Amino acid sequence: MKKPSIQELKYRAAKVRRKIVRMVAASGSGHAGGALSCVDALTALYFYTMVNSAENPKLPERDRFVLSAGHKCMAQYAVLCEKGYFPESVLDTYGCLGTQLPGHPDMHKLPGIEANTGALGHGLSISVGMALGLKETGQRVFTVLGDGELPEGSNWEAIAAAGFYGLDNLIALVDLNGLQISGQTKDIMDMSPLADKFESFGWAVGMIDGNDMEEIVSILDRLPLGEGKPSAILMHTIKGKGISFGENRVGFHFWKATEDELRTAAAELDQAIAGLEGR
Amino acid sequence: MIQSGLADPRKTFGAAVHEVARYNPDIVVLSADSGGSSGFKEFSLEYPERYHEFGIMEQGVMGIASGLATTGKIPVFCAIAPFVTCRPYEMFRNDVGYMRQNVKVVGRNAGISYSDLGSTHHSLEDFAIIRMIPGVVILAPQDPQEIRSSVKAMIEHDGPVYMRIGNNPIPHLFEEQPFEIGKGMVVHEGSDVTIITTGSVTGNALQARSILKSKGVSARLVAMPTVWPIDRELILDSAAKTRCIVTVEEHYVVGGLGTIVQEICSEASPIPVKKLGIPHIYAASGPYDAVLAHYGLDADGIANDVLKFAEANKKGR
Repeated sequence: MKKPSIQELKYRAAKVRRKIVRMVAASGSGHAGGALSCVDALTALYFYTMVNSAENPKLPERDRFVLSAGHKCMAQYAVLCEKGYFPESVLDTYGCLGTQLPGHPDMHKLPGIEANTGALGHGLSISVGMALGLKETGQRVFTVLGDGELPEGSNWEAIAAAGFYGLDNLIALVDLNGLQISGQTKDIMDMSPLADKFESFGWAVGMIDGNDMEEIVSILDRLPLGEGKPSAILMHTIKGKGISFGENRVGFHFWKATEDELRTAAAELDQAIAGLEGR
Repeated sequence: MIQSGLADPRKTFGAAVHEVARYNPDIVVLSADSGGSSGFKEFSLEYPERYHEFGIMEQGVMGIASGLATTGKIPVFCAIAPFVTCRPYEMFRNDVGYMRQNVKVVGRNAGISYSDLGSTHHSLEDFAIIRMIPGVVILAPQDPQEIRSSVKAMIEHDGPVYMRIGNNPIPHLFEEQPFEIGKGMVVHEGSDVTIITTGSVTGNALQARSILKSKGVSARLVAMPTVWPIDRELILDSAAKTRCIVTVEEHYVVGGLGTIVQEICSEASPIPVKKLGIPHIYAASGPYDAVLAHYGLDADGIANDVLKFAEANKKGR
């Protein structure tokens, strides 16, 4: 199958962001900031890199995606919807009783979800197990971690195990948007230097601008980043990316949206989509 | 015929998993520096590619087990009981329970069987906390043949299971028989009181019943190797037949088998229920048999408490 162009991926990412606003509109609030920062990476994974099928979400030979930072789930929901895993009308149930789209992902509710995350520091261990189980077939496991969850000790158990077992089919994408609920990540618990930490545990590390589609695609084309090693992609991103008044704002971690804000955000993204359409 | 002598529960368990793994290639064993002491040495030598050592990281291993299970493997993770229940509780709850993964978690040296190592190594709340995770089966086999048969049932069951086994050598109590999850067994009939027992103290409860018999008390003895989902029917049948029940377990008297029996009886057949177990404290350390006797869980202690309770309830009727 023909790979999509960078331009098409950017267009998809803009549409994904617009879908996030649609979900926030349905419920009135949501973890928008972190969802928006990782949209570009998720779009590239589902539309460019991963073996996956909207028609057959349980495709045996599929790659796996685990969203360790489960509160970013609107990004995953929106990408899955954009890919055709479920109808757009489901987006309007976000926050409603009995929705398939809870505030953290549930694999038993929505096709395409591979793990129930939300409590932080779980996704990477689950991914290590998946990668170990799929090592023989070479299927890959992609995990998005938030920078705010890195102090969870269980991450480092998983990082040690992945390095020890040389899981080169495991790729962790760390969304370094630099902000968390209480402020700047570096002031709350500074986990730098991250590249050195991952490398010392036997990982191969790459660093990119995680909102730059060219850089994302370029590094995904080079996987694994080291022979016989798990790959860590450290992505510098902007929290709230794509919505002018949300970018780099601590308070946008959980967006309690006003009608005005929703209108502005929708208009900005509609404009971005129109600018990318057909190019 | 029931075998004589004693058997090591951990070796019996490891060998039982090894046996089932011979015809079930999906079984993988996970170790947190705990495999050798869980009876898996032979397994690790015969199936090195199915034996994964992770070192001491029980939270990580629980998540890894879940991830492996999503790929079709049947992970068996055995370590010292508090380290697979209390320590990685959130991983058990979310990654195994909430994700409904086919993971088998086994707490060994459970109850107070690491009697001399202090409260950090006792597991007296595992029934209580694991039962709070919806969909997890809890097994507490009572003798060597039941460890073997319950291991087979645990692997055949498609879903998360927590099994607890002890440490000290245990006697053979029952004939070889198939194990059915969720079913208890009337070992002896009786009319004055029912003793419902589980896990490694069942041998003591059986001896207590003989002592009671010599004192003129007729005790029905019900063995309950599945703690959850419990055999509700058998509990209510016992309540109807003897009108009072004593539970015996190597667990806190709060939150375990006794509490489950009380919950069921209080709703459906209100009768007196006496719970024997370890009081809700950081328990004493010492030799296993001495600690059990200290808390009245040896045969004499059980017999004394049952006798008093049966007498009191006889008078009250």
